[in-house]
Amino acid sequence: MNLFTRPMKLLTAVVLEQTSDAVVRSLLGLGVMDFVHMNKLDSGQMEKLSFRQSSVSRSALQDMRHRVEALLKQGHIPVPTSEVLNVQNLEKPQLEAFKKTLDDLTGNLLSLKEKQKESNQMVMGLEEMQRYIKEDKGEYLDLRVGQVTKGRSEDLKDRIAAFGGLLESVENTDLWISLTLRRDVGQVDPLLDKFGWMESSDVQLQQQAVSMIKEQLKKEHQAALTDREKIEKAVDAMVLGQQTQLFAIWANLRLNELSDQIRSYFAYTRNTTLFSGWVPTDQAEVVEQAINQASEGQCVIEWTEARQVPRGEVPVAVSSPKMLAPFQRMVNNYSTPEYGTVNPTIFVMIAYLCMFGLMFADVGQGFVLMMVGLLGKWGYKKNPLKKDGMISRNLTELLVYLGLSAMVFGALFGSYFGLNLFPAIWFNYEAVVAGHGGNGSLITDVYGILGLTIKFGIIIIYTGLVLNWINLFRKKSYLQLTLDKNGLLGGILFGTGLYMGFAFVESGYRSFPSDPWIAPVITISLVLLFVRGFLSYYISVKQGGERHDLGAVTMDAVMEWFVDILEIFTGYLSNTLSFMRVAGLGIAHASLMQSFKELSSLADGFGGVMIFILGNILVIVLEGLSSGIQSLRLNYYEFFSRYFTGKGVAYQPVGLKSVPSEQR
Amino acid sequence: MSSDRVSLYGFINAKLRAKIGLMRQSKVIENLLHASSLVEAVGVIRDSKYHAVADAYDRTGDLQQMELVLLGMEISMYKEVARYLEGSSADLINHLLGKIEIDNLKNTLRLWYSSIMRQRPIRHRSEYLFKDTILSPIDWTALINATSWEVVGASLKDSPYHDTVAAFTEQDLQQSGLFPLETELDRMWYVHLMECVKTLKKADEDVATSMLLLEIDLRNLMMLVRYGWYHHMDAEAVKRLLLPWGKVASSQESEAYLRQNASERDPHSIINRYYPGLEDQQHSGSAHGDEASVLETLKIEGYLAERRKAIYQRMLAQDPFTIGLSLSYFFLFKEETSMVKAILNGKYYGYEEAYIRGVLV
Repeated sequence: MNLFTRPMKLLTAVVLEQTSDAVVRSLLGLGVMDFVHMNKLDSGQMEKLSFRQSSVSRSALQDMRHRVEALLKQGHIPVPTSEVLNVQNLEKPQLEAFKKTLDDLTGNLLSLKEKQKESNQMVMGLEEMQRYIKEDKGEYLDLRVGQVTKGRSEDLKDRIAAFGGLLESVENTDLWISLTLRRDVGQVDPLLDKFGWMESSDVQLQQQAVSMIKEQLKKEHQAALTDREKIEKAVDAMVLGQQTQLFAIWANLRLNELSDQIRSYFAYTRNTTLFSGWVPTDQAEVVEQAINQASEGQCVIEWTEARQVPRGEVPVAVSSPKMLAPFQRMVNNYSTPEYGTVNPTIFVMIAYLCMFGLMFADVGQGFVLMMVGLLGKWGYKKNPLKKDGMISRNLTELLVYLGLSAMVFGALFGSYFGLNLFPAIWFNYEAVVAGHGGNGSLITDVYGILGLTIKFGIIIIYTGLVLNWINLFRKKSYLQLTLDKNGLLGGILFGTGLYMGFAFVESGYRSFPSDPWIAPVITISLVLLFVRGFLSYYISVKQGGERHDLGAVTMDAVMEWFVDILEIFTGYLSNTLSFMRVAGLGIAHASLMQSFKELSSLADGFGGVMIFILGNILVIVLEGLSSGIQSLRLNYYEFFSRYFTGKGVAYQPVGLKSVPSEQR
Repeated sequence: MSSDRVSLYGFINAKLRAKIGLMRQSKVIENLLHASSLVEAVGVIRDSKYHAVADAYDRTGDLQQMELVLLGMEISMYKEVARYLEGSSADLINHLLGKIEIDNLKNTLRLWYSSIMRQRPIRHRSEYLFKDTILSPIDWTALINATSWEVVGASLKDSPYHDTVAAFTEQDLQQSGLFPLETELDRMWYVHLMECVKTLKKADEDVATSMLLLEIDLRNLMMLVRYGWYHHMDAEAVKRLLLPWGKVASSQESEAYLRQNASERDPHSIINRYYPGLEDQQHSGSAHGDEASVLETLKIEGYLAERRKAIYQRMLAQDPFTIGLSLSYFFLFKEETSMVKAILNGKYYGYEEAYIRGVLV
C-alpha cells in the first residue's frame, strides 16, 4: 500500500496502423492505461491527424449486451463478470448471428411464458372456487349432481371447463357432479339443458358432493400449480441450456465495447496510429514492453513525467489493500485526493474505528454487529443475484470492522451486553457514567470522559494538520505550508489556544494563563497571517499573474485576514468541541444499557430476560446507527477539512475489469 | 409561514423530494422502451423499484398479474403519504386515493356487466381485480359474484357509492350501458373533492384549488375533443359530461364549439384558446379516416398531458410547505407507473419502440 497517491507517467505512442489491433489487445489485457483524448493536443499537431468512426456502434454492442443480460436474469443466472473475458478471444462481433440466437431464445421463452400464463389463469380460477368453499361462501357456487342424458359427457366437461368449472363423475354410478360459479348460471343452465342434464334426487349424494368435488378441486389445483411451476423451471432450464453461448456472446460484445472505447482515443495519420494515456509509474515498463511486443518493435514511445503537467490534469490512483475497501469507499464517496498527496484511507480507518469504538463500546453488542456483517456477507456470497437490502453488501464488510472495534473498546471499558462480566482493562465506563467510577480509576467522572474525547479530537485535528503540512511540502506550496490557517501558523495558534484552554480548565474556570510568551506568539502569528495576503499577491505577480492597484490588494488582504482570524478562532474551537459528541453518544450508550438493566431487574424471570434482550437490540440498532453516522461526520468535517482538498481527478483505466458505463 | 406548516410538511417533503430525485435519475422508462421484447423489458425492471412486478412475471408469466402488482404499489404509495400527514391534508390524500377505488369499482362493474348482463363468461378475470380494502368497506367478492343489480347495490351499502349506483336500474344499464353510471361516479368524486379542498388551510386550499381546476379544465377539454369531435356527440350530451368548474366548462368558446354541427367542430381552435402551441405539434403522417381521427385525438391528449406535466413540475419549485409537492409527486408517480404499464403492454403485443413512444401520453 502506498502512503501517497501512486506516481503516474504520461505515455504517448505511435504505432503502425497494421499493428494497432494487437496493441489494443495488449492494452486491454493490461488494463492500466487511463487514455487521454488526442484532441487535447495543440491545433497545429491536430491538423495532421484524423479520427475514425468505429465499424460497429458501441451503443449497438451495449444494447445487445443488455439483451443477453436480461435473458440471463430471466433464467436467474448471474450476469458474467470480467472473469469470463479473455483478450485472446477478441473477434469481430457477429451481430446478425447473435441477434438470431437471442431472438430465437426470446421467442421460445415467450411461448413458454404464454403457457405459464394459461396455467396461472387455471390456478386462479380454481383458487377462487376453493376459497369460496373454504370461506363457506357456497352462495357464489353452483353445485349440482345429475346425469348427462344427451351427447358425450367429455364434451360437456370441456364446455364447463371453458367457464372455469369442473365436471366429475361419481364413482360406480352414472352420475356427475358439476361445480361452476353461480354468476355463470345464466350460461351454464342452457348448456346443461343441451346435454340433457337430469338433476339427481339423492339428497345424501347431494350433501356428499361438496366433499367429493373438494378433493377433485384440490387435485386439479395442485396439478395446475405444479404445471405453472414446471414451466417456471423450464424457463430457467431453457436459459441455462444456452448459458455457454450467452456467456460467449456477452464476452465478445463486452470485449468489443472495451476495444472500441480504447480506439475512440486513437488518432490516425496515413500509416500510423497515435495514442496517449496515463499509467502508474510502477506499470510503465510493463506497458512499454507490451506495446513493443504487440507492434513488433515498430513503435515510438515517449514518456512525460507527471511533474511536467499541471497537477490537476494528472489522474489520481490510490492503492489500498482489499481489506481496507470499506474505508476506501468512504474516501471515494467524499472526493478524490489531489495527485501526489497523502492517501487518507488508512488514517480514515483508524480514526473511524476509534471514534465508533469510543461511542459504542461493548463486547457483546460488537459481537452481534460482527456476526450480522459476517452472515450478511455469507448470504450475499451464497446468493449473488440477491438485491442489496437495508444492510447492503458494502455495509456488511464495514459491520465486521465496526463489530471488532466495539469489542476491543468494550473490553477496555469492561462492557459485555451492558454487564460487567470481566474487569475493565482501562476503566469502567458505565460505572463512571453512573457516578461511582472508583478512586483507583484513570477516569472518575463524566468530565473525565468529555476531556478524554476532546484530547482524542485534538489528536485527530493535529493528525489532519500534519498530513496537510506533508501534502503542502510535497506540492511545494511553501507559503501555504507556513502561513495558512491550516499550515504551521495555524498549528501554532491552535496549540497556543489549547494551552490556554487547558490552563483555564485547570484554574477551575477562573483565569487564563499569563505566560509571557503567549501575547507575542499570538501577535506575531496574526501579523504574519496579515502579511500572507501581500506575499501571496507578490508571488502571483512574479509568476505572471494579473497586477492590481495597492488599494485593492490591501483591501483583499485585510478581508482575507479578517475571515482567516474568524475561521481560526471559531473553526478550531468548534472542531475541537465537536468531538464531545463522541463522549455524548458513549454516555448515552452506557446510560441506556444501565436503564434497561434496571428495568429488567424489576421484572421477574422471562419478562426480565425479554426486556434485557429487547433493550440490547434497540441499543444495537439505534446507537449503532448514530455512532456510525457521527463517526463519518467527524471524519468528513473535522478531519478531512484540515488536509483533503478533493481536487483530484480519478484514475479510470480501460481494461477488462472496467465497470460498464450504465453501472457507474 | 406558520411553524405548523413546517412540522406538517417538513418530513414528507424531504421524503418525497428524495423520491422525486430518484425518479428523475432513473432511466427505467427509457430502458423499457429500448427493450426488444417483454422478457427484456422485465429484465429492465428487475433491478428497479418495480422488482416485485418482475417477480410476478417470473411466477405467473401473466401481464395482468404484473398490472395488479403495479396497482398495489400505487395504493400503498397514497396510503404511505396519508400516514405522514394529518387532519384535512390527510383527508384530501385519502380522497385522491378514492379515485383509484372508483376506477377499481368501474372495472369490477364492467366485468360484472359483461358476465351478467351480456352473458359472457369472465372465468378467472375476477381474480385480476384488487379485492383488498382501498378506502371504503366494499365487498368486492360479493359485487363480482352478484347475480342481480340489487345485490350489486347491497355489496356497496356501506360505501359512499351506494346511492349513485342505486340511482340506476338494471333497465338503465340495458339501455345505455355503463357509461352514464361511470360518468356519474367520476362526477361524484369531483364534487366531493372540491368540498374536501374547501376544508384545507388557506395556503393548501389555494394550491390544491389551482391544481384541481387545471385538472378539471384539461379533463373538460378532453371531453370536448373526445366526445364532441371524435364521437360526434350532440351538444347537450357533451355538456352533461363537463364538470361545472374551471374556465372551460362555462366559457363562450366552449358554447360556440358545441353549437357547431358535430361534424364541423374543430378541436384545435378550442385547445389553442387555452393552451396555444398545439399547431406546432407534428401532424400524424399519412393516416386516413378513422385512424387519422384516433391519432389526432391521441395527439391532442398527449399535448394536454404535456402541458399538465409542465405545470406539475413548476409546482415543485414553489412553496414547499403546502400540499402542492404531494400532489405533484402523485402525478409524477402515476405518470411513471402508467408508462411502465403501457410499455409492458406494448412489448407484450410486440409493438415497435417508435410506435409505443408515439402513443405514450
